[in-house]
Amino acid sequence: MNIFSPSIVLAAHLAVLSSISFGGFPTVLPDVHNLTAANGWVTDREFANFFAVSQVVPGPNMILMMSFIGLKVGGIAGAIASALATFAPPCAMYFASYTLWDWFRDRPWQRIVRRALAPLTIGLVIAGGYVMARAADTGWPSVAITAAAVALMLRGRTNPLWILIAGGTLGGLGGL
Amino acid sequence: MSQTAATRNPGDRAALTTLFVAFLKVSICGFGGGLVWARRIVVEQTQWMSEQQFAETLTLCQLMPGPNVVGIAVCVGAKLRGAIGAITALAGFILLPWTVGLSLGALVLQYAQLAVLQNILHGLSAAAAGLLIATGIRLLLPHRARPVALLFATLAFAGMVFTKLPLLVVLLTLAPISIAATAFGGVRA
Repeated sequence: MNIFSPSIVLAAHLAVLSSISFGGFPTVLPDVHNLTAANGWVTDREFANFFAVSQVVPGPNMILMMSFIGLKVGGIAGAIASALATFAPPCAMYFASYTLWDWFRDRPWQRIVRRALAPLTIGLVIAGGYVMARAADTGWPSVAITAAAVALMLRGRTNPLWILIAGGTLGGLGGL
Repeated sequence: MSQTAATRNPGDRAALTTLFVAFLKVSICGFGGGLVWARRIVVEQTQWMSEQQFAETLTLCQLMPGPNVVGIAVCVGAKLRGAIGAITALAGFILLPWTVGLSLGALVLQYAQLAVLQNILHGLSAAAAGLLIATGIRLLLPHRARPVALLFATLAFAGMVFTKLPLLVVLLTLAPISIAATAFGGVRA
């Protein structure tokens, strides 16, 4: 591993993860967190910061979050490598499968696979949220913000953007 | 936008610039709900796809790894103009927002040592983590009557959070078992 620069290790790892990110990129957050923590590339606090910033910038936020990690690990080249590793493999698959779609759209197995993968990806999404909550956890006030965000989001009547703004404001006022 | 629409015959092949701008719009507007905007632009405004085609494309994208909205961009681009269309739609979706987002974000993160900013970021990430958890719970609700689904959701969660195994290992272990269980066990809704 030491033969390669951290940027390359990170990009190669992200390329594998993006190829198996069924259910979206938040499902791979725990794995990315383990990798960056094990290599000492990014602290918990930085990881939480990257997540926070990527969530309030419009646009492809998970690609951005991985780019922030790449930026920290290997400068602008690292950021570009991380971004490419995050979206290029799935895009190649999308393109290939779109051209093959007519062939497998009515196969019974694709329904079974979809139904079987759904619970797994849901568990992984919740794991992603849990790992991020742990990374952002600085005591009971931050836990309370997370819990309140869960409750508001589940009620479903509040725009997520307001929940984020409220979280940021409470953090700024309360000094977490 | 209106100028482009006027110079283009309906039924003509979509101009690459139009494709680029359309997915730039999806990307910028798509705050927390990119799919909503993708449908609005692709189905209602440009009529590049029918409602049915869009739904099928979404199904396809959900079957694949990666961000679903990026998949929509690739598929719409591929439908209209082949490979070059897919790349154009993708570029529209990613290029500008990524550049701006990375620059702005890097600027903000430079000052992350400032106590006030650090506190704001902490509040933000705590809230964003909550949104993610809630999204997962909402996705789980339709499955709550299926014990098998709940079991596999729990196993995936535990596999990632408690064992700290790589995602590849977790998925390669659980996916075949879950597929087998679904294939043999439940033909029920």
